[in-house]
Amino acid sequence: MISSLNRIIVIGRNTLTEAVRQKVLNVLLIFSLVLVGSSVTVSQLATPGLDSAGLFDAQIKFVKDFGCGAIGLFGFFIALLSTAQLIPQELHNRTIYTILAKPVRRSEFLLGKFFGIVLLVALCVALMSLAFAAALYWQELQGLQATEAIYSQNPNWHTDPVLANAYNHDVQQIILQTRDPQLIEAILLIFAKLIMTTAIALLISTFATSSIFTIITTFMIYLIGHLESTAREFWLAGGANASIWQSGLVGFISLLIPDMNSFTIVDEILAGNKVPWSHALNLMGYADVYIVVLLAVSIVIFNYREI
Amino acid sequence: METSAPVAAPFAAETIGLTKRYPLTWKRKVLVALDHLDLQIHPGEVFGLLGPNGSGKSTTLKLLLGLIVPTAGEARIFGLPTDSLEARRRVGFLPENPYFYGFLNGDETLRFYGKLCGVTGPKLEQRIEELIELVGLQNGRERPLRSYSKGMLQRIGLAQALIHDPDLLFLDEPTAGVDPLGSAQIRDLIIRLKKMGKTVIFSSHLLEQVQEVADRVAIFSLGKKVLEGSLESLLIERQSTQINVPADLSEEQQQRLREALGQAGIDSQDIRFTRPHLSLEQLYLRTVQAQGDPGPRNSPRT
Repeated sequence: MISSLNRIIVIGRNTLTEAVRQKVLNVLLIFSLVLVGSSVTVSQLATPGLDSAGLFDAQIKFVKDFGCGAIGLFGFFIALLSTAQLIPQELHNRTIYTILAKPVRRSEFLLGKFFGIVLLVALCVALMSLAFAAALYWQELQGLQATEAIYSQNPNWHTDPVLANAYNHDVQQIILQTRDPQLIEAILLIFAKLIMTTAIALLISTFATSSIFTIITTFMIYLIGHLESTAREFWLAGGANASIWQSGLVGFISLLIPDMNSFTIVDEILAGNKVPWSHALNLMGYADVYIVVLLAVSIVIFNYREI
Repeated sequence: METSAPVAAPFAAETIGLTKRYPLTWKRKVLVALDHLDLQIHPGEVFGLLGPNGSGKSTTLKLLLGLIVPTAGEARIFGLPTDSLEARRRVGFLPENPYFYGFLNGDETLRFYGKLCGVTGPKLEQRIEELIELVGLQNGRERPLRSYSKGMLQRIGLAQALIHDPDLLFLDEPTAGVDPLGSAQIRDLIIRLKKMGKTVIFSSHLLEQVQEVADRVAIFSLGKKVLEGSLESLLIERQSTQINVPADLSEEQQQRLREALGQAGIDSQDIRFTRPHLSLEQLYLRTVQAQGDPGPRNSPRT
């Protein structure tokens, strides 16, 4: 058991090393530049004299939306492209023979590869989150400076209790938004969705004959996963004269393909609404169950594959 | 009460009616890659698999390694099922035209494969030192494998196959694309492994080399084993005897020998005097080594 785990870890670490040495992480440099660039651009659009809280509310909201959106998008491409070429590349280069000729089970090989991509995606999300945090901190500084500049136009702003209170309130508002602990919840949910995408791509790649097939099919499943809840609402809950086979098809699809749309709860967090941790944990549990099932099916298919 | 009969030592590798067919769905045909192969290889033996491309040699090796599943028949390694971890612990494999992870250097490659085999810590580091020395890759330790020449890749391939000190080695075309000197070194390595008591099963197109190292060979054609036996039994022409004398015989000397052999009852019409030929390989090795070339230069692929 322990040696099995060790082999999975060795293969996982090797997969991560490969990605790092092939400069996959350079993508993150582009991410950081885009994030910082957009953040600066938005703050330059600010017109002095506007209500400070309202203005910075919009700016911070933009940076949060943009940051989380970019983490999800860049993470999606890293997860999908890295996973799609895992097995085809091993087969093409015949490195898979050298590994499977050692005392390594096929399931260990597959789980090791998956573990490697999970590490890679985790590393990427962590680094992108750091850049995101830096961009938010920069926004906070800008906001505080601008707020002070607006209030300091009145010479009595320190002594006047009403002004001082209003100032403190505005400062609190800015800090509350930029240091929102719910953002951690949002990033964890994005991560769970990325790992689910990885597991889907891995499953497809166990029987696919090319990376392109894996990429396109995973992308389709990802889209269906986003649309299925709408379809389900329309055909099932809405009772819009759905025939049995229509209802059956929608039910079958929603069982087969994970509901990606439920992760759009991240948008609620970004809009400033409270999403309880229990709900987020439920969603992560849902993702975990799907991931375990997807991995189990992947192992079964891969065990029978001719290599 | 059960009584256990004395168990004979298992073969290092054994196949019984081993068959592999690939259905070609679109052409509605079946490709027979290997057809009812029966093979028994003893521990400590060097066994050569010969045959043209596509004759079933690589398929045999892959089946023995449990990398592919037979359509019929069975294969065993030291009496164990080929797909068991226990069997794989006792087996080392060098694939044909090996390609490893180009982003790893020589030491990292051996460390990776060593850990997969459960070799760790100081034992692994010591083993890496020994193998680097054994295959002569001192100058490839820090270089990424993507910059290796073909000969270097073959040698790191041999080292990774040996990392867990297996009892049985499968070498698929170990000398393909390697220069004659490197190829001779691989041949010498096989001889050393044999002396260490290892079993080696290898395929090669270099018949002369096979002849130099193999105890037994099997010749494959169109997925079937068409000939098998020890080199001694297969190659010796029992109807003639060769006598080597360390001199260039004159006509007169030849005539006197004819007379002497005639007295021994041999028809003088059937006696031929020829000069032994060097093989081209022997000539090449003598010439290159006379120039003081220590071995393969490990030059990067050009």
